[in-house]
Amino acid sequence: MLVWMTLLICAGILVSAGLAVTQEKPVSAVIAAGLTSLFASVTYVFLAAPDVAMTEASIGSGLATVIFLYAINRTRKQDVDPDD
Amino acid sequence: MAEMILDASMILIAFAILFGVIRLIKGDTDTDRIIAVDLLTIVSMSVIVLAAHLAERFIYVDVAIVYGLLSFLGVLAVARYLERGL
Repeated sequence: MLVWMTLLICAGILVSAGLAVTQEKPVSAVIAAGLTSLFASVTYVFLAAPDVAMTEASIGSGLATVIFLYAINRTRKQDVDPDD
Repeated sequence: MAEMILDASMILIAFAILFGVIRLIKGDTDTDRIIAVDLLTIVSMSVIVLAAHLAERFIYVDVAIVYGLLSFLGVLAVARYLERGL
C-alpha cells in the first residue's frame, strides 16, 4: 500500500516539474517548482532520510520560492511591456 | 479495525493528492494554484505522519512539524506577493 503512495508522489514530482517548465507566467512556474521540492522531500522521508527531507523542505520549498518571488518583484518594474 | 482505518485513510489521501494536482494543472488563476499547493502541503504532512506510524520511527513526526511551519511561510510569501508585491 505504501508502494502505491510512493508511486503517486513520484508521479506528482513529474507532473509538477513538467508544469514548472512549461508555464508561461513566472509566478505559476515558481509555485510549481516549490511543489516539486515539496513532493521530493516526502519521497526522502519514504527513503528513510528525515534530515535530508527537513533540509529540502526548508530550502527548496521555503527559501527558494521566497527568493525567486523577490527576484521577480525586483525585475518586474523594469519590464518594457506595460501589459505585463 | 486499526488496519482498516489506516487503509481507508491512505485511499483518501491518494484521492486528495490526485485532485490537488488536477487543480494545480487546470488552475485558472495564481490564487487557485497557491491554494492547491497549500492543500498538498497539509496532505503531505499527513502522509509523513502515516509513514512514521507504518515504519514505527517517530522521529519522522518532527519532520512533519518543521514542514508545517515552513510551508506556512512559503504560502504567506506568495500571498503577499500576489496582493501588493514582496
